[in-house]
Amino acid sequence: MRPSSQSLTLLALVALLFALAACAQIKALPNLPANHPEELASGPVSCTECHEDQQKGTLKQYAAFNHSRSFITNHRFYAGSDDVLCATCHKVSFCADCHTNQTEIKPSVKNGSRPDRVMPHRGDYLTLHKIEGKLDPASCHRCHGRANNERCVVCHR
Amino acid sequence: MKKVLSRLLASLSLAALPAAAYAADSLVDTTTLLRFSQDSRPGVAKSTLLPATVFLGLDADKLADGKLSAHVLGWGRADLADKSFNENQVDGSLTYGYLQYRFGAANAQARAGRFFVHEGILNEQVDGVSVRSDLPYGFGVSAFGGATVHNVRIPGTSSDGKGDGIFGGRVNYRYGGMFEIGLAGVYETVAPTMADPNLAGRFGSHRVIGADLWYSPFAKVALMARASINTETSRWAEQGYLLTVKPLKDLTVTGEFNDYQDRDLFYSSALFAAMPSMLSGNNLNQQSRTFGGSASYQLNPKFELTGDYKHYTREIGKADRLGAELRCTLSDLAVRTGAGYHYLRSSADFAVLPTLDASGSFHELRAWAMRDTKSYFASLDVIDYLFKREIDGKKNALELYGSLGYHLTPNLALSGDLSYGSNPQNTDELKGLIRLNYSMKLAGKGDTK
Repeated sequence: MRPSSQSLTLLALVALLFALAACAQIKALPNLPANHPEELASGPVSCTECHEDQQKGTLKQYAAFNHSRSFITNHRFYAGSDDVLCATCHKVSFCADCHTNQTEIKPSVKNGSRPDRVMPHRGDYLTLHKIEGKLDPASCHRCHGRANNERCVVCHR
Repeated sequence: MKKVLSRLLASLSLAALPAAAYAADSLVDTTTLLRFSQDSRPGVAKSTLLPATVFLGLDADKLADGKLSAHVLGWGRADLADKSFNENQVDGSLTYGYLQYRFGAANAQARAGRFFVHEGILNEQVDGVSVRSDLPYGFGVSAFGGATVHNVRIPGTSSDGKGDGIFGGRVNYRYGGMFEIGLAGVYETVAPTMADPNLAGRFGSHRVIGADLWYSPFAKVALMARASINTETSRWAEQGYLLTVKPLKDLTVTGEFNDYQDRDLFYSSALFAAMPSMLSGNNLNQQSRTFGGSASYQLNPKFELTGDYKHYTREIGKADRLGAELRCTLSDLAVRTGAGYHYLRSSADFAVLPTLDASGSFHELRAWAMRDTKSYFASLDVIDYLFKREIDGKKNALELYGSLGYHLTPNLALSGDLSYGSNPQNTDELKGLIRLNYSMKLAGKGDTK
């Protein structure tokens, strides 16, 4: 049985009502602050030094975002779903110190005065990559996959 | 048309720069690097390298009605002596440049220009527009579309292997404090034909769907996962799982498992898709698995100790990496130090030249220290790789990296780096760098990291 135009119209009206109701409720949903309200020190921070309970914007525990060494190593899992939260403290340029499509300077050289920052390819990575690249090429692909970085292309084509 | 569109959007965001002067909050950050080194590798023409590179970043917030902002980051380089990096004496790139409008609720925002997309399994750079918003009842949605950002062409071809248009998005659902699930997908227009026999059957369009999960049944336990399917090959490309447990307030223990199907993961990369067959006749073109774990313990506010282990399984062999790192922060962040040791034990198949008596195993030792005061800052970083078997006649690769700088004003800092290396590539490698950083913030509150 094919749906009549009346039932389709009714269905569209109901969908419209739901959409309007949703739009009305959106205005009541909280915004994360654009910036962290207090100045933060340079270096890794622990949210739970000041915050307790659950983060309102992400509905997750503050403790989940403490910047332990493990958090920094695995930050891709957090950034993929909560980059709006990251943005309250970090400018996009902070991410782009490493995550940039086309660059010519190793992040660890550009930020050579900051050995405390966990940055890839310190030391003689030109030699190391011949081992690491075979060991775990997916970790190379994560940053260099579609960037065609000129330094890769020189030898790998 | 797509190229015109991408350039128009990037130009639009650049045109917004003058508006920064009227922004209530703005941050200008420039770093100028003058590097100098001599390339005297055997078999390579001796050359003097003196590239000057400028990175320019701008964030102008609270424009117009206070919800509009402009964000730009790019770099340019000029070689003052011999050509340093590629065939271009002058080069540059716009990393991102976009206008963003933050709506008053639901974390809703819209972007136009060149920007990065990090949504679930997606990591893309786009010239176009994007929108995102939380929705009632825990739902959320994001979408983006536009032109792909093209890169360097693969030598011998007229393409970088990317299609011209791209769109995608993510929908997610969060159940307060317990779990979040996201479904995402990206669709890029047809990839160009690449005339490379190594790419036959292993290269195609960038079209991926996938899911991400965050599940926390208890406050101290969280499971995160992400998995993607290459819709062109109809196979799993990647699966990754991370379990985080916090048994004590200052102790974080993690366990991870990752599974990659190389052909399906590398499928849309003209560079990576060809690599396995080029290197070893398809030996690498199969499954890769890693599992491992780590424990980070904040001994006290000054010391953090981390131990980690990872096991690698590939078609050609297996390897294990384990190690530890100690970090120390003193005097209200003015002094920071760290030391670490890692050992990679791998089979001969992972060696630089995988012969019968070769080894891919090595020890990694690193120690660093830095001091940052209101007037000066200094750092020293020592990293040494000790190879189990010699590589090109060398038993180790050592690098000493020192940096000394002075805060000329609160916004302006001048520093110089000097590094010495002795490694399989170079017997003595001396490099220098002068860095001028200007960071001016016109704002009330907020971090500028």
